[in-house]
Amino acid sequence: MTHPQVAERSLTKSQLRRIYTMRQLRWSDNSAINVFVLPNQHVLHQRFAKERLQIFPYQLNRIWHKLTYSGLGVAPTIVESERALIQAVKQTPGSIGYIEDITLKKIQQEHRKTVAEMATSSQKVSVMEKEQKGRSKGVVNVVKIKG
Amino acid sequence: MLSKLKANTAVEVLNIVHDIFSFIGRKSRIQAIAILIVGLSVSPIHAQEDKSSSNSSDLQLHGFISQGLIDVDGSDFVNDDGSLSTELTELGLNASYQLTNKLRLAGQVVYLDGGNRYAQGARVDYALIDWSAFTNENWQANIYLGRFKNNHWLYSSSRDIPFARPSIILPQSVYFDGFRDIAVGSDGIASKISYSSDDYGNFDWQISYGSSPISDEQTTNILSELALGTAEQDYDAQTSLYWQPAFSSWRFGISLLDAGFTYDSVGQSNGDYFFDADFAFQFYTVNALYEGETWEFSGELYQQRFTIDDFYFPGFELDNVGQGFYLQSRYKLTGKMTLLARYEDFYLNKDDKDGKVLEQTTGTPYYFGFHKDITLGLNYDVTSNFSARMEYHWVKGAGRLTPVVVPNIIINDSEDWEMWAVQLMYWF
Repeated sequence: MTHPQVAERSLTKSQLRRIYTMRQLRWSDNSAINVFVLPNQHVLHQRFAKERLQIFPYQLNRIWHKLTYSGLGVAPTIVESERALIQAVKQTPGSIGYIEDITLKKIQQEHRKTVAEMATSSQKVSVMEKEQKGRSKGVVNVVKIKG
Repeated sequence: MLSKLKANTAVEVLNIVHDIFSFIGRKSRIQAIAILIVGLSVSPIHAQEDKSSSNSSDLQLHGFISQGLIDVDGSDFVNDDGSLSTELTELGLNASYQLTNKLRLAGQVVYLDGGNRYAQGARVDYALIDWSAFTNENWQANIYLGRFKNNHWLYSSSRDIPFARPSIILPQSVYFDGFRDIAVGSDGIASKISYSSDDYGNFDWQISYGSSPISDEQTTNILSELALGTAEQDYDAQTSLYWQPAFSSWRFGISLLDAGFTYDSVGQSNGDYFFDADFAFQFYTVNALYEGETWEFSGELYQQRFTIDDFYFPGFELDNVGQGFYLQSRYKLTGKMTLLARYEDFYLNKDDKDGKVLEQTTGTPYYFGFHKDITLGLNYDVTSNFSARMEYHWVKGAGRLTPVVVPNIIINDSEDWEMWAVQLMYWF
């Protein structure tokens, strides 16, 4: 998932890999990429690294440690929980992060529920829809991973 | 949210600092920790500022704290009396600030105590301006100005970062602690050009030019207590190339180093034992690294050339070519536990591998001509940023002990020596 203002709607596996190994630092519009991750021992981080990036989590750690503690560059920002990661991605322009499918579905369900509640509680549906469109800025983009 | 996390981290770190050091009452250590605490207490304030800015990662603060115990039997590697030592302290605090889209400031202060291994105290590890000269999907070119770290060998940039290096004590033939302050980095200019593609893999080409200040303690460590003059590094030029084939578990590297030093004697009439001198050092390495899911292999193979002009007496000349290698294997027993085994073999003169000529010509015992080390170790990751480590070394030879030029043959009176060490490390 990315911040809603990020133009990319899909990324190849190698692009994703380059972004997380800090070898690609900018989006196609030249804006900076802000990478967020969960702690190394987090189950979701381990799965994301192995399945999506096809890199072992310890290898990512080494790359990031080298950048952070030798002054060569900047490593991803570590956040403690999936909730915090979603918040961080929502609030940071140019950001990218990952979440579980289940969590994503939950968010989408909650989102739909809010929309529905709002729609039924008001007769001025069209106005509410407009408002909702405005609010949807706070929700993250889901990026497709190709290849 | 982020600011809260940073503030929590700072509190957590302070608690750990307190726990670890409450029973170690060394004045210098406390001073170092005070610096760290001041630094950390600033972090929540900065984090608050971040909240209002659009980019929360403009300022990043990180650091590490580690303390260990080390016991050497049979050499002066850590201390002269061979007793169990707490001189295994490594602390660091760094900041990175994104000034503009293309410019970044970064700096790190470290406090190190390793006994005889290197000068004890705080130092500026790096302080640089990083100019991102060019970047696109495949290419990155950066220029670094200021004090930068040596990034040319497998573990040169992470040698002081306890959790980022493979063992507590690194292979001394490459990462000789006696040369640490000179080899760890330089003041000057460096550049890194990276290329990454699905067809050819990842390439990293680095070049650096600069010099390192040499402290009096370093002069004593390398030369001798009898050297009263000043040693200076005139220049240090290095380049390296790394290649990781596309989607490969292997990575290969090559590095070249050329450095020149001078010694300014205070004169024999003022009690200096030595004469004005020039030293030159060249060092070439090739390395390979394999990173699999449970197994990992790495090794470096190297040749060095060390020349001395004058020094002992005007007209004296020495030209030694030394060679060596180490092979290292790590095995991930579980997600948290890693075992390490390593063999290292190094000799200072390729024409005198057993040191016999050295003994015949200078009277220095033969075992000062080489250094062989068998290491077994264990690392346990308690959490994502807290680890414990222990290791045992069986060493043959005194070729990597200080002082280098005029060795201490009284304490180092045996060919075989051993050491063990344990270390706890926390980072954020």
